[in-house]
Amino acid sequence: MNNFDLILRNVTRRKMRTGLTIFGIALGIFAIMVMGGMSEYFDRHANRGLDLMSDKIYIVPESGFFGGGLVDSMVSKVRRIPGVFDAYGLLWMPYDMESLGMFGAFVVGIAPEKQEITLKNVKLTEGRLLVPGDRYRAVVGSNVARQYGLNVGDELEVKSKKVQRASTITTARNFTVVGIMEFTSSDFDYIIGIPIDTAKKFYEMEDQLTYIWAVPEEGVDGEDLSRRIELGVDNIKTISPQELRKQSEQLLVVMNLITISAALLAAIIGGLSVMNTMLMSVSERTREFGLMKAMGAEVRDILLLTMGESALMGILGGIIGIVGGIIFIYYMNEYLATMGTVLFAVTYRLVIISLLFATLLGTASGILPAYRAAKMRPMEAMKYG
Amino acid sequence: MGEPVLRVRNLSKTYMQGKIPVHALNDVSFDVEKGEFLSIVGPSGSGKSTLLSMIGLLDKPTSGGVFIDSVEVTKAREGDVPKLRREKIGFVFQHFNLIPTLTAFENVDVAMRFARVPKSERKKRAVELLTQMGLADRMNHKPSELSGGEQQRTAIARALSNHPAIILADEPTGEVDTKTRDMIVKLLRELSEEGHTILVVTHDTAVAQQTGRIITMRDGMIESDKRVIIDNDIEPASTHS
Repeated sequence: MNNFDLILRNVTRRKMRTGLTIFGIALGIFAIMVMGGMSEYFDRHANRGLDLMSDKIYIVPESGFFGGGLVDSMVSKVRRIPGVFDAYGLLWMPYDMESLGMFGAFVVGIAPEKQEITLKNVKLTEGRLLVPGDRYRAVVGSNVARQYGLNVGDELEVKSKKVQRASTITTARNFTVVGIMEFTSSDFDYIIGIPIDTAKKFYEMEDQLTYIWAVPEEGVDGEDLSRRIELGVDNIKTISPQELRKQSEQLLVVMNLITISAALLAAIIGGLSVMNTMLMSVSERTREFGLMKAMGAEVRDILLLTMGESALMGILGGIIGIVGGIIFIYYMNEYLATMGTVLFAVTYRLVIISLLFATLLGTASGILPAYRAAKMRPMEAMKYG
Repeated sequence: MGEPVLRVRNLSKTYMQGKIPVHALNDVSFDVEKGEFLSIVGPSGSGKSTLLSMIGLLDKPTSGGVFIDSVEVTKAREGDVPKLRREKIGFVFQHFNLIPTLTAFENVDVAMRFARVPKSERKKRAVELLTQMGLADRMNHKPSELSGGEQQRTAIARALSNHPAIILADEPTGEVDTKTRDMIVKLLRELSEEGHTILVVTHDTAVAQQTGRIITMRDGMIESDKRVIIDNDIEPASTHS
């Protein structure tokens, strides 16, 4: 029995109440979209990052970033270990020397000839990579370019800071942008790549390095090689591809738990408002359901009618929440991009899950009211009113 | 005459009011032939509405049975009750009980939906019935835009929609003026002349006098059962004490 017209009629019977209920669901689904969008972005970011980086072994100082430190001579030691195809050092400094936060750009000193193996298939949207002989030149990630409004040929001021006795000396230099990378949804978007020789001089780091990246030969097991590097070179620690994956997955699980549970809570509140509305609506229409039963309506007819109403409210709320979420995420990303970061991603998966969830939420919230309506005895029901 | 369309046999209903049993119906038996126009009268609490709800499968008797078209409907399984209600019974209520959000046409249509009648057939039947009720030009009006008489005629059209064996009308003229009352009674009488079996529960003796047979109830029992000659001459059918 196709009763969609009846369902629609009932849903629009009390426009204000229905509107508020749908708005409640929409808010919940909006929260799922926004929080889920954040989760999706981090997920994508981590996966893309892993795609780009997990073929290498990361070598860090044994005692942490700011302890003993890595030096140039270690690079050749690493390179000599059997199974290492190539190894090279990187200098990795926060662009804003005042902040050491998670977000924001990094100045990365890299040997121009190692760019390709580092960036893998990442393309440039504009300009060129660094070439040997470049000095105060930079290739920047897409978020950096958006934040500072950079085009090829523009100058970007980079500061270095040095503590000398009681005072801090800040040096500033302009770097000319020669290339801009495409958006990768990874840490590469936050990079300002400059030649490593220039970086060392500019930051007065002499032969020091932040990381050494080792590229295994084809067919060599990363985990195995990691251990061999650790054994072969003193005062270093390796992060193998597997470890990198594990670390990033752990972080993701925590992120997802926080975001999804907050969003679920919002959506469940929306669901309760549907249940409340439906319970009210069913008790107002007690006589109507009694009448329907007297006319010979089956239990399932009434279940379908009432659950159809709550499902419809769920679907409408879901659509509004999804559209609202997409619009919010779009403008939020635009705004965040001007500050050099992106936080949200809308994926098909997210949209489909949100819509399914809204429908399910609406339907499930209608079960109890529908059951009440369907179980009403016509005699009792007719006595109302 | 053939097999009666309705047979009520030793029907009793006892409610518990707290710990005190109330005998709403006490061993009631009677037969109704097809095409009869019958009224059940009696003071409040005499059991007439209880009797109607037993026949209409709205409530279950404590003992005894109701047979419609030789089927003992009071023995039906819970799952079969909706089908029996659709096929055997058409209700007309005192408060009209139309669905307020639906038009007159849709109110008639919806009863046939529950009976899974195809859409085109529903439309044809609803238009035909409403036209017969003199509501051809009022079909697309909602109950709030219809007069009491029009609402009750819509309810009668709805009751007829699934070709029921019996029409049960509970105080069908309780909420209308005398002119409308006469019109409704005339309509019901015409329907019975066409072969519909109609049971009316009423307080109104003027309505009862227009029916072909009057069953008077008192204290849950049938006090009298009389046939009425059209020009209001009363002739006893059978008398129960």
